[in-house]
Amino acid sequence: MGEECMLEKQLVEESIRQSGLPCHALRDLLSIGVCPRCIFRLFGVHGDVYSCLSLSSSLLWSVLDLSNGHEEATDCKVHEGSSSPQDLKVGPEFCVVCWGILQLSYDEQAQQTFDLVASTAQLVKGEGFEIDSFSLEVSVPPIILGNERSVWLYMKKRYGSESRFQDKFFSGSISVKDALRFSITKSLEEMLAVKVAVRSFHIRFTYTHSDASSKISLVQGSRTDGHKKQKRGDKELLEGIDASDLEINKESFGLDIAEQDRIFQVPPAKVNQPCKVTTLCYRTPVYVGGRYLKYSRNVSQTRWIIDEERMGETSVEEIIGNLTLSILKADSYKFHAAGREDIDVRMLGSGRPFLVEIANARSLSSHTEFAELQEKINNLEPRIVRVKNLKEVGVDAWTILQQGEAEKQKQYAALVWISRSLEDEDLKCMSSIKEMDIIQRTPIRVLHRRSPLERKRMIHWMRAERIHGSKQFFILHLCTQAGTYIKEFVHGDLGRTHPNLGSILGCRAEILQLDVTDVKMDCFNS
Amino acid sequence: MTDAAVPPPSPTLEEDSEVELRRLLLPDPNLLILSPPPSAVDSNYVHYFIADFLKPGHDQYIYRHANGLCVIGLAPTHASLSEGGVTSVDFNVGKSDRSEIKVTGKRKKNAQLLEPNSALCKVYASDNIYIARCCIKGSLLEVNNRLIKEPGLLNSSPNIGISKFRRVNVQHKGDWRLCELEFLISIRALSSVLISNLS
Repeated sequence: MGEECMLEKQLVEESIRQSGLPCHALRDLLSIGVCPRCIFRLFGVHGDVYSCLSLSSSLLWSVLDLSNGHEEATDCKVHEGSSSPQDLKVGPEFCVVCWGILQLSYDEQAQQTFDLVASTAQLVKGEGFEIDSFSLEVSVPPIILGNERSVWLYMKKRYGSESRFQDKFFSGSISVKDALRFSITKSLEEMLAVKVAVRSFHIRFTYTHSDASSKISLVQGSRTDGHKKQKRGDKELLEGIDASDLEINKESFGLDIAEQDRIFQVPPAKVNQPCKVTTLCYRTPVYVGGRYLKYSRNVSQTRWIIDEERMGETSVEEIIGNLTLSILKADSYKFHAAGREDIDVRMLGSGRPFLVEIANARSLSSHTEFAELQEKINNLEPRIVRVKNLKEVGVDAWTILQQGEAEKQKQYAALVWISRSLEDEDLKCMSSIKEMDIIQRTPIRVLHRRSPLERKRMIHWMRAERIHGSKQFFILHLCTQAGTYIKEFVHGDLGRTHPNLGSILGCRAEILQLDVTDVKMDCFNS
Repeated sequence: MTDAAVPPPSPTLEEDSEVELRRLLLPDPNLLILSPPPSAVDSNYVHYFIADFLKPGHDQYIYRHANGLCVIGLAPTHASLSEGGVTSVDFNVGKSDRSEIKVTGKRKKNAQLLEPNSALCKVYASDNIYIARCCIKGSLLEVNNRLIKEPGLLNSSPNIGISKFRRVNVQHKGDWRLCELEFLISIRALSSVLISNLS
């Protein structure tokens, strides 16, 4: 125990030296109620001092007393309210700058010392996260900047001539957020058994204080350009302004000196309660991509429910999404695909590229066997969906998926009937069609939910394949521009798609079945 | 489109994708039996017919899609379709020219709300002028303006349709005027028989 005390004392002494503040200035700051961590950070001190668990105002007092030559025998752990003649110097309970954030100490509701580190570790384990790193996000009431400015003004008033620490204040000061990170990172790393790194797992501390919102409304009232901001609620302003966004060099909050003096007391006013903290931990979205094939004519691509009744047996989205969700132990998923097909159209051949966005996965994606997940999906009975090339992809995958969609060509196979016999000339005629323009009015079957427009589309090529033993049925293979309505191209949609297969062949044409045989896109091909 | 009567053969995972594709594309023989197969208009719309709408011989149809949109047209038994057929179609019905409507957007802005008795267009056949009416209450989305240049389409393509409507309320079940095509044809046949008996 003795050794720890010594180390801590040494750290404190070193920090006092780094700050460049004379002892009387330090005592002054302590007496107006600034906590040691705030003192050190505002004057640009770096080092392990922040993570000293027993760093408190009393400790700093005792080190100052000792360094000043006072030979009073003081115990290493000086408790609050100890019978020291310097009792009055202990000051208010909560730091007037950080309002308790860097004191890591007081939970009002529990009326006991609140161990931020322990409770955070408990939260992470309780949620069941499998982690290989963590990163800390901190959100503090922006009013703290106002408190910092008050301290600066106070120092300027009292020690105006000693300009050296003014420079330090501006150029070297460390934000509350960074100081908090310095304070708890090592302990958290120990408790969670992983190191800090900005990857997928984040822990967010949100500090709030009731006084902060009343100060904000004062600020809002004074702002000259405040009329715009006043429309937003207090809460929005609090969330919108990040303490790190406002530079302390500029006039804080867009107010001039006189107004600041009016709103922010110098030295900063005391508070009765510390900030309250809400801890949240989450994982950034995991993106899983691949290509899917759909073998059923009774399964939609996405969940389709009308008036509480489901259309179709199930959906591709649910088949893939539910299994992925359970293997990654996540909260929810979003399914995106490069285009879509009707419920009664099969998706065959190379498959359609898709992306599943997984929210808040508890398992680590790097520890997940996607090949296994693919097998599981493909082995589901009945065989409705097949997945290829399933793997984790980056955040940019969504953009790639979107970009390709409108440009790419799609290939189809349709079972077609015509009202007369299929002749060889017909086969030649269809094969000779290359890059043919057609105009499609919005099909009646979707006209209730889409704009009535005339869309120009292109048929790249066509090929008819005879069916053995049939004169009027045949298989039509065709390749078209993305966004072409194939069914309407075949039957003409009461003449609203022109030219259509019937008009080309000079007879009536009907489509019985449609399959997508290729989606030509450069993604998720392996 | 028809449903497959037999579920397609289960795909096996070991197959080469090209081979699998060819196998899956083989048509189900059950689908090839019915010739002609039900048409897109037959399968996707419910067909209603009205005989003698406001005037004798003015038979029209209403094809209603599952999404509520209706296509209005002249029934095959319409008086204008006999004796040589339709020669001209004019969408200018006095107050406005129905072919000038411009409906835009998902919400179908500018769609005119019309009553069953509102006129859709004037149909000229030999020496007579027939007026095609809306038959239902709804907003007019689109007219078939190909009929202006090619009025003969009404003679050749029975389903070509005159206009597309969005129905306002769905209370067609109680409408005693609506009937099926077979009934329409049969009562037409009956009436021509009666006329010949009288003379």
